[in-house]
Amino acid sequence: MSVQLKYLTSETPLEERIALLLADRDRTAVGLIYQNYSSILLNVILRVVKYEDVAKDVLQDALLKIWRNSTNFDPSKGSLFTWLVRVCRNAAIDKTRSKDFKQRQKSEQSVDLVFISDTFGNESEVNDGSVRELIFQLPEKQRTLISMSFFEGYSHPEISERLSIPLGTVKTRIRMALQHLRSIVE
Amino acid sequence: MNIQEYIASGVLESYWAGELNDEEMQAVDAMAARYPQVADELDELRNVLITLARSQSSSGDNTVIDLVTNTIRDEEKEAFLRAIEEPDTQIKKIRVIPRWSAAAAVLLFLSIAFNVYFFLRMRSAKDDVRKIAAENSKMAYEIESTQQDLGYAELRVAHFLNNDNIHVRLDGSELSPKSFANVFWDKNTNAVFISVDNLPEPPKGHQYQLWAIKPGQAPIDAGIFDHNQLVQELKVIKGSVQAFAITLEEEGGTPIATVDQTYARGFLKKS
Repeated sequence: MSVQLKYLTSETPLEERIALLLADRDRTAVGLIYQNYSSILLNVILRVVKYEDVAKDVLQDALLKIWRNSTNFDPSKGSLFTWLVRVCRNAAIDKTRSKDFKQRQKSEQSVDLVFISDTFGNESEVNDGSVRELIFQLPEKQRTLISMSFFEGYSHPEISERLSIPLGTVKTRIRMALQHLRSIVE
Repeated sequence: MNIQEYIASGVLESYWAGELNDEEMQAVDAMAARYPQVADELDELRNVLITLARSQSSSGDNTVIDLVTNTIRDEEKEAFLRAIEEPDTQIKKIRVIPRWSAAAAVLLFLSIAFNVYFFLRMRSAKDDVRKIAAENSKMAYEIESTQQDLGYAELRVAHFLNNDNIHVRLDGSELSPKSFANVFWDKNTNAVFISVDNLPEPPKGHQYQLWAIKPGQAPIDAGIFDHNQLVQELKVIKGSVQAFAITLEEEGGTPIATVDQTYARGFLKKS
């Protein structure tokens, strides 16, 4: 039993709890990261690698790196999330340099940006609860914005180009959409 | 800086979207550390996104986390096995010593056993040597005495067969009826020989003495002799000897025979 675990309570903020568990070499930390951050981190990775299956491979590598190099996390140099994003980005960039990734890029050059199968608005998906309906309570445009920005790996310039919105308004609209969602959740 | 404006700028949403670079993210972290409002806003945005993500994620796809968890478990297992292997080698090292000492103990035991065995064998060999040496000297003595006896016997036979000898058999007197002896008297040299055949052991300080008896004369001393020597040459006696007699005298002999101590006597055959 670690000394640090004594300070872990249900009140401990999520990031701090994960950081303490990581420092304690408790692998439930990796589970918590996955539970809470996998979608967001996958989004970060997708921004780099563009292919969902590749992104999942990279996330897997990144989670192992996070576990193996957990002692590298220094809270004085930023938040846990910032560190997690850094590890994931580096893993993604490493992936794009790999031979098989380059071959795949060549062969799929003609294909435009990848379609993500289980994004919001896929109405064939089984509706398994009230939360599931959250996204549908948003206007379609906001729904698309949130989905593209937070889950599908599109950068603001890409969203601007895709949705034909001026880059300057992309940020504000995303904020508005998220505020809307917040009001529904709360 | 106006915090509300900062929050309203949309930079926090960009933070969660992965839109910011590392440096920008650290700047947001610094703001959150400094302003609790920023920190709270960040947490709330994250919670909404987590809720949203959970609401849309296809249930049952745990491939990524399962693979990661299995890999971590395998690594921990390997690390654990390595950790217990290391003390194991130490244990092995420790075990080497008893193995050596056991071997050494066996060797020592064998050495002691051989030492004891050889010591006992050596001691018994020494005993044997001593016994054999004793037997040898006994045999040597026996051989010597046998040879002496043989020499005497041969000498006696020679005296018997010598034609120059006058043979006189002396028979035991009343004093010692079973005693007897033989005297050979060389006609040419007049030397007297005695064969001590059966005379009792003389008392301590006493010796037998042979006397030559001539008619009308006192017994003539023919010499004292050793009871243990079977055949001995005594004195030269000349003249007409009638008989020989053996008396028991004090050690060193006497010029005058103690006649009443006559043990054996014998007369010359009349030619």
